[in-house]
Amino acid sequence: MTDSIIILIILSIFLGTGAWLIFIWAVKKGEFDDVEGAKYRMLEDDPEASGGEDDDP
Amino acid sequence: MGEVAETACEHCGLAIAAGQAVAASLGGETFTFCCRGCAGAYRIITGAGLGEFYRRRTRPETGVPEGVFEAETGDGYLEKFVRPTANGAEISFLLEGIHCTSCIWLIEHLLARTRGVARAMLNYSSHRLRVSFDPDILPVRELAGVIRSIGYLPRPFSLDAAHSLHERTQRTLLIRFGTAAFLSMQLMGYSLALYAGYFRGMEDSSRTLMQLLSAAVTTPVVFFSGYPFLAGAWRSLQNRRPGMDLLISLGVLAAYCYSLMAVLLGREVYFYTAAMIITLLLLGRLLESSARHRAGAGIDRLLRLSPDMALKIAGGRETPVDCSSLLAGDLVLVRPGDRFPVDGVISRGTTEVDEAVLTGEARPVLKEAGGEVISGALNLTAAVKVRVARAAAESFVARVARLVEDAQNRKAPVQALADRLAAVFVPLVMLLAAGTITYWLFRGQDIGSALLIGVSVLVVACPCALGLATPTAVLVAGGSAAARGILFRGGDVLERSAGINTVAFDKTGTLTAGQPRVVAVEAVGGGEKELLELAARLESSSSHPLAAGILAEARARGIAPGAASAVRVIAGRGLILAAASRRIVGGSRDFLEESGIEIPPLPSTNNTEVHLAVDQTYRGRIILQDRLRDEALIAVRELGRAGLNTIMLTGDNRAAAGEIADRLGIAYIAGMDPQAKTAWVNKRISAGDRVMMVGDGINDGPALAAASVGCAMAGSTDFALDTAELVLTRPNLLKIVEALTLARRAMRIIRQNLFWAFAYNLLALPLAAAGKLAPIYAAGAMAASSVCVLLNSLRLSRVGKDHRRFEAGDD
Repeated sequence: MTDSIIILIILSIFLGTGAWLIFIWAVKKGEFDDVEGAKYRMLEDDPEASGGEDDDP
Repeated sequence: MGEVAETACEHCGLAIAAGQAVAASLGGETFTFCCRGCAGAYRIITGAGLGEFYRRRTRPETGVPEGVFEAETGDGYLEKFVRPTANGAEISFLLEGIHCTSCIWLIEHLLARTRGVARAMLNYSSHRLRVSFDPDILPVRELAGVIRSIGYLPRPFSLDAAHSLHERTQRTLLIRFGTAAFLSMQLMGYSLALYAGYFRGMEDSSRTLMQLLSAAVTTPVVFFSGYPFLAGAWRSLQNRRPGMDLLISLGVLAAYCYSLMAVLLGREVYFYTAAMIITLLLLGRLLESSARHRAGAGIDRLLRLSPDMALKIAGGRETPVDCSSLLAGDLVLVRPGDRFPVDGVISRGTTEVDEAVLTGEARPVLKEAGGEVISGALNLTAAVKVRVARAAAESFVARVARLVEDAQNRKAPVQALADRLAAVFVPLVMLLAAGTITYWLFRGQDIGSALLIGVSVLVVACPCALGLATPTAVLVAGGSAAARGILFRGGDVLERSAGINTVAFDKTGTLTAGQPRVVAVEAVGGGEKELLELAARLESSSSHPLAAGILAEARARGIAPGAASAVRVIAGRGLILAAASRRIVGGSRDFLEESGIEIPPLPSTNNTEVHLAVDQTYRGRIILQDRLRDEALIAVRELGRAGLNTIMLTGDNRAAAGEIADRLGIAYIAGMDPQAKTAWVNKRISAGDRVMMVGDGINDGPALAAASVGCAMAGSTDFALDTAELVLTRPNLLKIVEALTLARRAMRIIRQNLFWAFAYNLLALPLAAAGKLAPIYAAGAMAASSVCVLLNSLRLSRVGKDHRRFEAGDD
């Protein structure tokens, strides 16, 4: 077996572990507690981003 | 922007404070708004072509009168709910007054800018606000004040044990599934290499490395992610009742142990099978639990609105006590802006009460001493003393909430079906495995090889598609139903709907349009106009459809209904107005007779009658007729054709009900009050029928809850909508037919799914028993059955619109 495959395997393990840790962190932080609200939240403008009051749509 | 006149905001309708007006020109016209938020909302709504909303909307909302926010709770009250954390403190509020996501945006942004607040998160579905803050910079009272200042009522609340338990288990399940999924992805790579090696040849050293890596990633999947199944299997072993968990654990452990041995012996491994079974089953559980949890959110919210603390009056002093400690007979003080903590009777004071969440009655109801109040209703105008009628745990809302909770926790009988299948399957598979081992020993194989072949039988017998069979079908059916305006609250509702054999309808507002018109006014000792005016005054504060009919007639005849304030409503029976000068009573004939009013013999009509009396003197009656819903006849006929019994239950008199029933060709029972309806439903269910109740009012609530499936349509009271398990978001009776068709189809698909799940694995069994099973075949059978089940479930999403009729025969 070539060394490159072994390197790739090790790399994939690291990547996978990283993603898994991020996932665990997100669950613990409660990111998945409210999956309903997210789709509405994106519809709202940030206050800074909202334009002047007179611009026509 | 130009001169702004003193007007109301175009969007929210509130008066615009001086100098605050925001003008925006849209489509050539200039409109004024009270704030930028409203202007933005208006732009979005009109921009989406929904400007019609502003012409359609009616605003009967009560709202909390100004000043009630000032009613401060005692100093120590809020502090009790603050939880200290590593960097500051945290508190949870349940917010009242949230209607849309703009509210959420507003609150989150406002708090984010407040000094001392570290983080504020508002949950869209539960209306729970969690704030992390620094109590040294911002005392908790000021924090509550900030939220109050923009018009939302913050009620502190602590998660009760059951709720936080649910949250924890949900998170654990998610972590278990996530872990299994990530590891399975890694495993997939190694397995692909091994499969390629199986067909094209592979060096032994490479193969061993791949197998060892596979073993390393599978171990946590089996023992961490798969823990719930292993624990369930252990329990079912202890109870000696083989179930699904046992079959799963058997398959998984067999695959895992076999593979570990195989690594040592240099054979093919089944790690992928073991990991995949667990991952897919966990996915199924996750889908199921989230669908189930969504069900009772409305009631849950209602229940949490009733406060945790109450002011108990004892020995002339008011002491804050825990609501759960209140007993029947205790006296509590309820201030304006507070919700009633318990069911009770007002012993002192007069106030207006908003019961909208309970009754759908949008206008405030006047309650005097002796008036009954329900926990969760909002006290609007004055402080009152309330005599507790029953303990908080026994309150009306709590009882309804318990009903819902029970429904949520009931295990779907289809799951029981899977368990029943497993109960037969497990011993069968064990026998087969034992038989295989004996056979190969008899054929002269060494014990090791014979064992391996026997174990491979166990591996392949466990169908992992089984875990997906029910949840996917429920999910797809639920989604496709929702798209057509039908909401099943949970998979078990879908399933119970499929088994319905009797449909009971409420009359008013369900079979009929619920907009009765006055057809005759028969006055006794007085003019028609006078009688109508009396009735209009009495009914002016009611949102009952009969009241709307009378008011419409009064307006048509040019009578302005005088505002009445002291009206007492007796649900489903009548109204009493007790003014200083006189006492007006209106309602059904029975109601007046019970009140001791003598009614002269009158020719009976086939219509709804409202009788009126002033100071115990009979004054006449108003006759109203209701219009049938356009689609009622077709709907009843379609249900009959599908082999369902239909019946109409109504509180109306026999004659009025009979006429409607004749036109529809439906059986009926007249003169039923809420208790009678509930009793009827219970009787039919205990007689073995599965009854669907369709209703819209608060008086149908108990019957809706008692029925196998309670169904409410758009336009029903909040209470009915919250109690019903099947909600039709369009007021169209044909949707019931559609919903039942869909439910039956879904059940058929679930049964097919279970069949396919087992069928593929049964096909692979002979291979395993013959000792010819390579892991690739096991994986193939598994993938094929899973895909098959998924595709089969997806068929539910394309039930054609022409599928109105029930398909003949149900399996």
